[in-house]
Amino acid sequence: MIVAGVEPRAVVEPHGVAELAACVAALYASDSSFAFAGGGTELELGNAPHSIDTQVKVTGCDAVIEYAPQDQTITVEAGLTLAAVNAVLANEGQFLAIDAAEPERTTIGGAIATNLYGGRRLRYGSVKDTIVGIEIVRPDGTRARGGGKVVKNVAGFDMPKLMVGSLGTLGAIAAATFRVHPVAERRAALEYADVTVEQMMHVGEELVREALVPAAVIGFARCESGRYDCRVAFEGFGRGVEQQMDTAKEIASRLGLTAGAHESGAGASIDERERAVRRTAPWRLTLSARPSVLARFLHTAPFPNGARHVVYPLLGAAFVGADALGADDVARWRGLLEGGSVLVTALPQSARAAVDVWGEPPAGALAIMRRLKQNFDPKGLCNAGRFVGGL
Amino acid sequence: MAALLDFARIVGERNTITAPSELRTYECDGLAGFRVRPAVVVLPETTAQVAEAVKLARMLGLPIVPRGAGTGLSGGALPTEGCVVIGLSRMTKILGVDLENRRMRVQPGVINLDISRHLAPLGYYYAPDPSSQSVCTIGGNVAENSGGAHCLKYGFTVNHAVGATIVTSDGEIVTIGEQTGEPDALGYDLMGVFVGSEGLLGIVTEVVVKVLRRPQATRTIFATFPSTDEASNAVSSIIASGIVPAAIEMMDRLAIEAIVAATRVDWPLDVGAALLMDVDGMSAEVEHTAEAALAIMRAAGAIEMRTPRDELERELMWKGRKAAFAAMGRISPNYYVQDGVIPRKDVAAVLREIARLGAEAGLRVANVFHAGDGNLHPLVLYDGRVAGEEAKAEHVGGEILRVCLRYGGSVTGEHGVGHDKACYLGEQFSDDDLATMKLVRAAFDPHGILNPEKVFPTPRLCGDKPGVYVGHPIELSGQAGRG
Repeated sequence: MIVAGVEPRAVVEPHGVAELAACVAALYASDSSFAFAGGGTELELGNAPHSIDTQVKVTGCDAVIEYAPQDQTITVEAGLTLAAVNAVLANEGQFLAIDAAEPERTTIGGAIATNLYGGRRLRYGSVKDTIVGIEIVRPDGTRARGGGKVVKNVAGFDMPKLMVGSLGTLGAIAAATFRVHPVAERRAALEYADVTVEQMMHVGEELVREALVPAAVIGFARCESGRYDCRVAFEGFGRGVEQQMDTAKEIASRLGLTAGAHESGAGASIDERERAVRRTAPWRLTLSARPSVLARFLHTAPFPNGARHVVYPLLGAAFVGADALGADDVARWRGLLEGGSVLVTALPQSARAAVDVWGEPPAGALAIMRRLKQNFDPKGLCNAGRFVGGL
Repeated sequence: MAALLDFARIVGERNTITAPSELRTYECDGLAGFRVRPAVVVLPETTAQVAEAVKLARMLGLPIVPRGAGTGLSGGALPTEGCVVIGLSRMTKILGVDLENRRMRVQPGVINLDISRHLAPLGYYYAPDPSSQSVCTIGGNVAENSGGAHCLKYGFTVNHAVGATIVTSDGEIVTIGEQTGEPDALGYDLMGVFVGSEGLLGIVTEVVVKVLRRPQATRTIFATFPSTDEASNAVSSIIASGIVPAAIEMMDRLAIEAIVAATRVDWPLDVGAALLMDVDGMSAEVEHTAEAALAIMRAAGAIEMRTPRDELERELMWKGRKAAFAAMGRISPNYYVQDGVIPRKDVAAVLREIARLGAEAGLRVANVFHAGDGNLHPLVLYDGRVAGEEAKAEHVGGEILRVCLRYGGSVTGEHGVGHDKACYLGEQFSDDDLATMKLVRAAFDPHGILNPEKVFPTPRLCGDKPGVYVGHPIELSGQAGRG
């Protein structure tokens, strides 16, 4: 599998964590560069790595290590897909709250490494809020754990959090423990049709003011009109969800908006409209900024013709998909999203040289990140060059 | 001494403490059994002063021990011989509230409860609520990843303190994590690993926290049970039913006795255990979950169930719970607080093992804890005037931690490792696990001058108490839960 334009010279798929560690140790000892891969759904993310002598597929580590339904925790190897984990959890009426566009392909390790999230992050938090334990294989092959299998634990540094979003540059994510949630008794969604950014933000403000607890609030941009269909989803016990739906309808009439129940939208974590933006466009970007800044940005309707987007207005995130963009668009948006960021998560190979796909983190933080990378991977063999700041 | 007075040039004379009589206040934190006098204490009022103080300490070759309110229970703010204590208690400004984006920026010396007090008129609050919340600071909370009763539903400090300004061991001022309410900062999650790092990675000088809308409704239920077995089963069944209580706390017979003696609660004394539970959210959901929880408690063998008549009684109940540690003074001259975590399903079994350990040592053990997430707080009662009792209590405390590890748990759920448990960390984690954490430490503090001799076991530290810290057979056989 090609990683950000770089083709690995060889591919290995070790079976089990012990074999993974042995394989990584051997590569490191022989000064051979390597990078990890899971389901291959986010291979375009990041800079082109300096080189990949060997691609180490983690998909051969696919065991459920321990599932304790009563404790609402599960420990799994990183090569399992989200769908496979959720199939196990479904038997006990539970689920892992990480929304993915392709749960059949996305692996646990990939979800952690890329900090994957969908609309229900609003209710259930991000991977960082869900993960409680981790086992990694450091670039030199050392196996190391952090956190644990209990949901509350402050012993030692919080290594699981450090690995979230690290894109396999500090080592392989081999296994992880998550806090899981009971599947809600009832789900329902309301869609506010054809609203402006301002109206969508008003809906958001009202939801917060009324102390509603939506599972997700998602704005689907209508083609090139600067208007949105805004879906608000609820999950919980029947009576609670009904009360929230009623209140959400009242909000609509108070604001003079049209809102209708949207039963099909309640179930799918990432639906077709969102998938089209986040999965299939040649250019894909993740914009994040504080919600008020993101709203102002969207109000200026900055996207070129043909660009599609989906926004999580209460989280402050937007996903953009476009056929054609330029480095100047990316730079301009970074300027407008004061305090926020623009990640280019996919782009045509021809455009890579001109575009800084990550953006610049604050200098002081980057210096610490450099030392982290240096300490974990002193030879610079592990997915080197791919991460923020060329780490 | 002359060199120490250079600190006064940075923070002012009134914020520099060198007189032995005044230094005594800073000899220990909430873990009062250990005392070391620092060389100097400085109390900066700005980030720049913290940075300058760190640079000076480095130049003088002094180790640095950061300190908040000094309420920690693991000796995390215990001075190191000849160190400079940098106390953040005078950095008490609220720097900004941004309700539109539900964020607040505060200095580290702001008291936890004052954040919620500040927000209360606006209908918002800050979720993590350690029992010491009326005195502990947000900076200390960040260092310890503090929890509290309501963390079961809402998460810990790490889920709510999302960004910070820190001063590194070089005296550099660095921003990490989210600064304005944007989701996720670029690069490695430095804030994620900084929270709970117990002062080893840097000194926090500003904190960005999430603020939450106050729930529409809250119902509190107090229920008594014949023993901790029935109460534990009730907790498991409530959570298995899909209910996520905002908090669910257990107190055993001894804990109830102490709380009743120390506060004005009118709880019955002739019961084996009590649960104090909150459910919150939208009113219809709260009504539904409270009814369901009551039915489950009844089925699990509850003796009595009551809901407070009014907000005043509710507050009293929670005050009773939060005063539990201090209340032990009513039933015992001394007590030793422990803080271990086990999988929730094993609570009943572990409580029986704890009782056995206490009985074998001839000591009483009271239990008051966060039942929903299996975070035990056994309080080993002893009389310090009786020769050997303190050592016995410490031994029981240590054995309790080993029981927690045997069940796959952790040696600390919220009090931190600090000085107190550094030697147990090596029983929970392998050498490679700890070496990996040290790689993180070296990235933040290459000189190792921040809070030395905390968290990580060292021969010097762990040789202090021969006999207590030898490798346990369970550890040696590889059965100790580290996953």
